[in-house]
Amino acid sequence: MLTSVFIAAVSLALFGMAAFTLWWQMHAWRTPEVLASTRFSRPDGAEHVSFSLLLPARHEQAVLDHTIQRLLQSTHTDFEIIVIVGHDDPETTEVARRAAARDPRVRVVVDTHEKKNKPKAMNTALPHCRGDIVGVFDAEDQVHPELLAHVDHAFRSTGADVVQGGVQLINFHSSWYSLRNCLEYFFWFRSRLHLHAQKGFIPLGGNTVFVRTDVLKEAGGWDPNCLAEDCDLGVRLSSVGKKVVVAYDSDMVTREETPGSLMSLLKQRTRWNQGFLQVYRKRDWKQLPGFRQRLLARYTLMTPYLQAISGVIIPLNVAIALFLDVPVGVAFITFLPAVTALVTFVFELVGLHDFGKQYGLRVRLVHYLKLIIGGPFYQVLLAGAAVRAVWREQRGRNDWELTSHVGAHLAHVNREDVPA
Amino acid sequence: MTSTLPAATGVKVPAQRTAAPRTGSTNRTTPPKRLRSSRPDLILCGVLLVAILVVQGWNIADYPTLSDDEGTYLAQAWAVQEGRGLAHYTYWYDHPPLGWIQLALLTWIPAYFAPESMTVGSMRAVMLLISALSAVLVYVVARRLSLPRWAAGLAMALFGLSPLSVVLQREIFLDNIAVMWTLLAFALAASPSRHLWHHFGAGMAAAAAVLTKETMLLVLPAVMVTMWRHSHRDTRKFAITGAITACALIGISYPLFALLKGELLPGAGHVSLWDGIVYQMSRPGSGFILEPGTGSYGVLQSWLYYDRVLPLGGLAGALLLVVTWRWSVTARALAGPALAVAILAGMALRPGYLPAMYIIQALPFLALVLAGGTASVAHAVLRRWRRAGEKRFVTGGRYALAAVLAIAAGAYVVPRWYDGDRTAMTADANAPYRAATQWMATEVEDPKDTRVLVDDAMWLDLVHQGYRPGLGVIWFYKADLDPAVTKTMPNGWRDLDYVVASPTVRRDAVDLPNVKAAMEHSTPVAVFGAGEDRIEIRQIVSAGTGGDR
Repeated sequence: MLTSVFIAAVSLALFGMAAFTLWWQMHAWRTPEVLASTRFSRPDGAEHVSFSLLLPARHEQAVLDHTIQRLLQSTHTDFEIIVIVGHDDPETTEVARRAAARDPRVRVVVDTHEKKNKPKAMNTALPHCRGDIVGVFDAEDQVHPELLAHVDHAFRSTGADVVQGGVQLINFHSSWYSLRNCLEYFFWFRSRLHLHAQKGFIPLGGNTVFVRTDVLKEAGGWDPNCLAEDCDLGVRLSSVGKKVVVAYDSDMVTREETPGSLMSLLKQRTRWNQGFLQVYRKRDWKQLPGFRQRLLARYTLMTPYLQAISGVIIPLNVAIALFLDVPVGVAFITFLPAVTALVTFVFELVGLHDFGKQYGLRVRLVHYLKLIIGGPFYQVLLAGAAVRAVWREQRGRNDWELTSHVGAHLAHVNREDVPA
Repeated sequence: MTSTLPAATGVKVPAQRTAAPRTGSTNRTTPPKRLRSSRPDLILCGVLLVAILVVQGWNIADYPTLSDDEGTYLAQAWAVQEGRGLAHYTYWYDHPPLGWIQLALLTWIPAYFAPESMTVGSMRAVMLLISALSAVLVYVVARRLSLPRWAAGLAMALFGLSPLSVVLQREIFLDNIAVMWTLLAFALAASPSRHLWHHFGAGMAAAAAVLTKETMLLVLPAVMVTMWRHSHRDTRKFAITGAITACALIGISYPLFALLKGELLPGAGHVSLWDGIVYQMSRPGSGFILEPGTGSYGVLQSWLYYDRVLPLGGLAGALLLVVTWRWSVTARALAGPALAVAILAGMALRPGYLPAMYIIQALPFLALVLAGGTASVAHAVLRRWRRAGEKRFVTGGRYALAAVLAIAAGAYVVPRWYDGDRTAMTADANAPYRAATQWMATEVEDPKDTRVLVDDAMWLDLVHQGYRPGLGVIWFYKADLDPAVTKTMPNGWRDLDYVVASPTVRRDAVDLPNVKAAMEHSTPVAVFGAGEDRIEIRQIVSAGTGGDR
């Protein structure tokens, strides 16, 4: 009897978790009106704000020049690019200096911190920003030329303090985990982030994020000790009631690549999880006015751990239902989380189809199969990263494990050329 | 896209309408976004609801005659309430159990306070609730399929007040509950907000319908068509996939249930889902519906006896909508219900087994397409080829013609329905049953030790009178078909005391050796009613002693 009650309670909790996550994940597709509202509105042609685009680069001489050149092709007329390089990184500095010599809109700031990380680099550059808006990109990003015009319009038409554009991993064909990784980004930026913006609690993304310079300076820039400085900034700004707007247009997203190996994906995920944990412990989210907002914050920041736990418990639960002698009613309840997971699976398949359609990519049967078969393994990976993050945080290891980029996505600049 | 960026901190997404394929012409009232807040709709729907409840509720226990199936389902609901499993005899996967599980829930409170009320006659009252919900849903579906207000009211009236509906919806049939779920699925599929989770809910409701009565599988394509038409291009793939997934996952719970009980596949010594399906699929056919003399023909005639307007008018309406598909907005809007009618009519034309309650699942769709056809005709008469400067006498002629048509239709329908519904509200068809129950309660000395064969409709009455459920008071056919019962009757009919021979028992005894023998070795000690419908209480005449067990 006690076992039954226990199993039922665990199952119901898992079910609630999975159902809420699914509900949020599908936010953008709730109604056609919501979907339409997630996009950038068409710019009216006028341009009134100026941009300072931060481009921190570290050992990224291979991709940096390409990124700068592409940024310089922007249709917007009033922006500067501030490339931030380390004093111990002459190769990247060389590339940056050459770009600055070619175009007066490019400037170079050298970060001299002994221990380097991205928030420190950006804080170093913040006093040099002359624009109304600070934008952040990564050295390997492909930025759409019209993005700045759209963001300009978004700032003016909505009175926002922060605009978060879409970021999308594109190289879904590279490996089984990149497929899932791409789809994660798709659901996050296409859908879930809009819900967060609407609810007034948002962990911002690491790039294609634009903040009013005065707001950013007032907030004291980025937290140099946080492993997820982007998430932290979003949480701090939204907690004090700053207006955040998210817009996603498949034409306008910043394209990125998945980490080049399973290990670097694991490291990247560990860093994020650890960062989320730090943000949770910083308690800035406690200032949120609404109880439900705080609940959403708590839940979102703890997601990696809940995910890890549920990944282990759901199969266990089903096994218990099948092999242990529990009443049929309880057995049914134990299936609820698994059923929700199945629904999520199905929506992921549809999402993959939509992803292919939106980006003009050919998604083949083998990719759908990979998505299904890879699901459980990816879950294991996520669980591994979550456990690793907790372990590292306990041991006080907060150093950055930077993801290295090989430029896989740059080979596919022209999306029609992409071999499927 | 021409939309703005509303997804902002502390700001609700404004409900902005994106361009969507519009249905509905300019000349009619567009259905309000929220029917709840439309006063004329509420009043019309409320008035009709009261009328339907009065007509269906008055005299509900006494007409029509208690049916065997009603007894079956209610007795199984009783078994669920009593914690005896899904049936008080072995549950053998004849139907998915969700139907009587719902009945058990619905009757829980009355049965808790007054256990003896758990009989077919008194528990018909819960069907009123189902009828009311279904009738309101018919109205909602009609409005969501952009029928004008009066046509939606017409559909609701046709559905709830046709004498055929009144007779069938009063009875405790699983089909009535399944119809409610199907209508809910339609209403959600045609949700004006085109919300993903409404469509998901439509899939769940459709699954509930199928698990209540498996024949609702036939109508699922019509739900799908409705959803397709009402979803938006940009979100359709998520909506439809979600609905199918929801429906499939819930539907799978039934085989899963069988699997958990180890009864999915046939095996020695237990029943199985597989056997249940094989039984239902291999039921002997009742002949071609249009060939006089066959069982199916008889069933058809029994429907037409109660009402011709709804079945035949509905078919005509469906035909009209199909023919005018290209020109009529209404025809396209009603594609779902019309398809449902077409599928159900097509299945009825197969020479398979046609049960009398088959038409129940078609009633709402017949009502919807008949109302839609009427709306189509009204639109053609009043509006088609009408120009701004039309001469007054032409316009007057249009209205005169419409009035003549309406009066003619009323003159045909109203007297017939009045007669039918008056019978339903006044006739007492169940006096013999009540009298027989009374006799068994008072004249038999020791109910606890008496074994009696009865039909399902009377079974619960006798349980409340102190007879032992299952092996004391026995569903008559279990005496031949359920090994668990036959093994308690080593001496066959000699182990029984009474047979309550209702028309059903007399009809089926032919194929049931034990029941037949019991009938042959018994004499009537009391007879209630006369002719075909009489109920005889027959006492077994054993050689020598009266009850040697």
